[in-house]
Amino acid sequence: MNRFLLAGAAAALLLSTTAGFSQTKLSRNEIINSLQGAQQEVDISADALQKAAIDNIQKYPGANSPNSLPLADKLASLRQFNVEITFHFDSANIAPESYETVGLIADALHTPYLAGQTFFIVGHTDAKGAREYNLELSIKRAQAVREALVTTFRVPGEYLFAVGLGEEQLRDPANPDAAVNRRVQLINLGYK
Amino acid sequence: MNRLIFALTAGLALCVSSAAFSQTVGFADAIKILAASCGKDIKAHCQSASLANNGIMTCLEKNQSKVSEKCNADRVVVIGLIQARLAAQAEVAKICNRDMAQYCKGVKPGAGHMLRCLLKAQPSVSNKCNTAIDLAGYR
Repeated sequence: MNRFLLAGAAAALLLSTTAGFSQTKLSRNEIINSLQGAQQEVDISADALQKAAIDNIQKYPGANSPNSLPLADKLASLRQFNVEITFHFDSANIAPESYETVGLIADALHTPYLAGQTFFIVGHTDAKGAREYNLELSIKRAQAVREALVTTFRVPGEYLFAVGLGEEQLRDPANPDAAVNRRVQLINLGYK
Repeated sequence: MNRLIFALTAGLALCVSSAAFSQTVGFADAIKILAASCGKDIKAHCQSASLANNGIMTCLEKNQSKVSEKCNADRVVVIGLIQARLAAQAEVAKICNRDMAQYCKGVKPGAGHMLRCLLKAQPSVSNKCNTAIDLAGYR
C-alpha cells in the first residue's frame, strides 16, 4: 500500500513539474501515423544522398541552387514527417525548448510500429548565407539529432542515418529564406 | 531542509523505476522536465554541451554549485525516468510471450502487427502482459 501511495505522489510530482511548461501540439502518434506503413522499396543510401548535395553545389555554383536534387525528389513518395528543431545560434547543439520534440521522435521510434525500420534524419536550412556553410551546418545538426536519439534515448543506431542537405532541397523554393525551409525531415526507408 | 527535499525527490524517482506497478512516462515527458527545470541553467552554463553522449548531464553535474536546486534534483529524476521506460519496453516481449502464442497465432511479427493483435485481445490477455504494455507506453 505504501508503494501505491508513493507511486501516486510521484505521478503528482510529475504533473506539477510539467504543467505550465509550453505544450507543443505535436504528438507521438502523429509522428507514428505519418511514418508507419512503408511499402515502397527505394534503394538510396544515405551516403549517395549526401554526395548528391555536395556535388550539386560544385556543379551549379552560385548563391542559390537552380533546381532540387533528383535523388531527394525520389524520396518524396516515402512515408515521412517534418519537425522543427531549434538549435543554439550558429551551433549544432539542440536548444532545451526542442528537447521534448526529440523525445517524441524517440517515443515514436521505440514503438513496435516503427522499430526495426530504417530512417533517414535529414537536416535542411533556409537559403540565407553561403551554401557550403549551410550544408555543413545541416550535416552537423542532423548528426546531433541522431546522436541524441541513439545515446540519450537508446534508439538502435544501426537503423538511423543522418544526412544534411543544407539549402539544396528547399521546401518552399518560391520563398528561399522562409522559416518553413528550416526543418528536420524523418524518412522511413522500411525494413532493410 | 534543502537536502531533505533532494532526498525526497530522488526517493520518488527510485520508486518510479523500481515499483513494478508504478507508472512510467515517455521519453518526451521525461526530457521535458529537464528543459523546464534546467533550461535557464543550460543556457547560462552549458551552451556548448550536446544533449547526446551525456554532454548536458555532465555539464550540469560539473556546474552543480551554480545550478538551481530544482535542476540539480530533477536531472537525476530525468535519468531515472528514461531508464525506467527503457527497462519496461525491454520486458514486453518476454512478459507477453505466452499471450502472443495463445492469442496471436499466425500473426507475422514486425510493423506492430503483434502489438495490434495484443491490444485487440486486451480483455483476454493476461494482466501481466496488459500491465507490461502500459508500462512500455505502447497503448
